[in-house]
Amino acid sequence: MKKKINKGLFSAKVRGNINTGRCFYRIEMELAGVPAKVFAQAQPGQFAQIDLSTTALPPQDSIAHKLRDSSGRNIILRRPFSFANVQSKGDKTIIQILYCTVGPASLRMTTLKTGDTVNLIGPLGNGFVIPEGKKIALLAAGGMGSPPVQFLANRLVKKNPEIKVVLFAGAKSKNEFPSEPEKFTSHKIETIITTNDGSFGLKGLVTEQLEKWIEANEPKEQQLIIYACGPEAMLARVAEIANSERIDCQISLERRMACGFSVCQGCAVECKVGSSEETIYKMCCADGPVFDSREIVF
Amino acid sequence: MEKKVDIVIKFAGLKLANPVFLASGTCGYADEMADFTDLNSLGGFITKSITLKPRKGNPNPRIIETDSGMLNAIGLANIGLERFIKEKLPILKKMRPAIFVNVAGEIIKDYTEVIGTLSTEKAIAGFELNISCPNVKMGSICFGTEPAVVEEVTAAAKKASGKKILMVKLTPSVTDVSTIARAAIDGGADALSLINTFTAMVIDIETARPALANRTGGLSGPAIKPIAVYLVNKVFREVAQKANIPILGLGGIRTASDAIEFILAGATAVAVGTANFSDPNCAEKITGGIREYCVRKKIRNLKELVGSVK
Repeated sequence: MKKKINKGLFSAKVRGNINTGRCFYRIEMELAGVPAKVFAQAQPGQFAQIDLSTTALPPQDSIAHKLRDSSGRNIILRRPFSFANVQSKGDKTIIQILYCTVGPASLRMTTLKTGDTVNLIGPLGNGFVIPEGKKIALLAAGGMGSPPVQFLANRLVKKNPEIKVVLFAGAKSKNEFPSEPEKFTSHKIETIITTNDGSFGLKGLVTEQLEKWIEANEPKEQQLIIYACGPEAMLARVAEIANSERIDCQISLERRMACGFSVCQGCAVECKVGSSEETIYKMCCADGPVFDSREIVF
Repeated sequence: MEKKVDIVIKFAGLKLANPVFLASGTCGYADEMADFTDLNSLGGFITKSITLKPRKGNPNPRIIETDSGMLNAIGLANIGLERFIKEKLPILKKMRPAIFVNVAGEIIKDYTEVIGTLSTEKAIAGFELNISCPNVKMGSICFGTEPAVVEEVTAAAKKASGKKILMVKLTPSVTDVSTIARAAIDGGADALSLINTFTAMVIDIETARPALANRTGGLSGPAIKPIAVYLVNKVFREVAQKANIPILGLGGIRTASDAIEFILAGATAVAVGTANFSDPNCAEKITGGIREYCVRKKIRNLKELVGSVK
C-alpha cells in the first residue's frame, strides 16, 4: 500500500512579495502538481519551513539600522512561517505568508521576486481544529500572531457558517498590524480592535476585550471556543481566562526551530501531564504549534 | 563506457552499500525522516540517544543559530529503552542500512543495561557509545574526557554488546583527542566516531543573558568542519590507522566535497548531522556526489581514498 503524502520537500514559485507597511510584507507562492495537492490540505495553524540560506540580502543602505549590524550573518537553518491563507485554483495551490523583518533571514526574504523559486518543507504541524457543537468562536490575534488567525477566520466563515465568529485583533500601535484587521476576511465579521497606545481601535489589550465580551454575552461555555495566536504573555492570559471559565481554547505557539519535523527536538513546549504535577516537553513543530490551553505551562 | 565505481565499504566488518550515515540526534528514530528521503539509500543510520529511563530534556530555549552553525542543548531528551523497543525498533527492523543505536547514561550500569538488552536484536548492527554529550551533567564523572574512565566504560559496554559492533563517539572538548581515542581502543572499541559538538556559548546582548536556557550548548554545522577534519586526521595518523580501527567522520558535513575531505583525512565512513535539519534529503545527494568524484578521479574502490591525504 502506498503511503499517503501529507508533507514533503517542495519547490514553489513566487507570485508576488510586497511591502505592506513598515517592516511588514506579504508573499504569495504557487505550487503545482503533487505539491499543490499536498498543500491544498494545509490547515490554519500549520506552517512551512522555508529555505532562505541562498537568498540575496537587500542593499545595505536599505536595511533598517537596527538590523544592519548582523544582517551579513550566514544562515543555515530554515525559518518557519504559518499560513495567512491557502487557496486552490485549478491544479495550483497558492499560499500566502505575512512576515516582518526581524533578522538576517527575513531580510533576505524581502528580495524574493515574482517568478523566483523557493524551496519549502510542509505543511508541518497540527492546525486548529473545530470540535462538534460549537456555536461561537472567539478569535484572538496579537501582533505578528495574526496570520494563522486570519486564515482560520476565513475558513470558519466559508466552511462553518453555523458558527458565529468574533475577532479580537490587537497590536502595540496602529502601525504594528501585519495586515488590516478589518480586512481579515472578505465577509463581514464582528471585529474588535485594540492597540496598547490607543492609536487605533480601543486602547488596551486584546485579552481585556475578550474577557469583557464573555462577561457581557454570557455564552454557554460548551458552545464556545477560543482560538489564539500572539505574544506569549497574551497567550498566557487567554489560557487563564479560558481555563477558569472552562471554555475550550486552542493556542498556537511559536518557538525557535531547526528542523520543523521533530528530529532536532529544539522547540520544546512544557506541558502538563493530565492533572498531575508532572510536566513533559512536547515539540512545538510536531505536537503543536496548536495546543490545548489546559496543557501548556506558561 | 564508464567503469563501475564501487562505493561499497567495509566498516568494522560490516558491508555497507555506501559510506554515508545519518548522525545521532539529527534524524530521530528514522520514521520522522521518511517523508523527505529514501532511508534505504543510506549506508548507515544512528538513532537519537537512548537512555535506560526516558529523559525529559532541557528547558527552552534549546537551540540558537550562529554564523554558519548552531548550538543545541537538548539534554538527551528521549523516550527511554522500553518505549524504544516497543515503538521504534519495529520501524528500524524494516530498514536496509546498518542501524546503530546511540546509547547514553549517567553511570556505567546505565550503558550496559541498555546495550545488554538490545544486544540480541537482529535489526541492530551495533552501538554508538555517547560519552561526549556536552549538555548533560553526569554527577562528578565526565565520561568522555578522562582516559581511564573512557577505557572502563568502553570495556563494560563491549562486554555487554556481545557480537554487535561498538563504536565510541568522542568529544573534541579535550586537550588531546588521540589520548581518548587510544583509551577507547584499549577498552575494546571496534570503531570511533568523531567528532561530537564543541561546547560553546551565545549571549543575547539585549538581555545580557545566555541565549540558551542551559547557558552553553554544542556547536555543530559548517562552522566546525575544518576542525573536525583536522581531528579525524590526527586520530587516524596517531592512533586509528595502526590499530586498524575505522573512523566514522562527522562535523559540519553538508556536501559531497565535505564528505570526501573527511575520507581523505582518514574516515572510512561519514555522517551527516545538522545539514539534515535544513535538507533532510542531503545524504542522498552526498552519496551521489561521492560516486561522481570517484568516477572523475578514476577511483575503483573507495578504500583507496581513506586517509590518502598527502
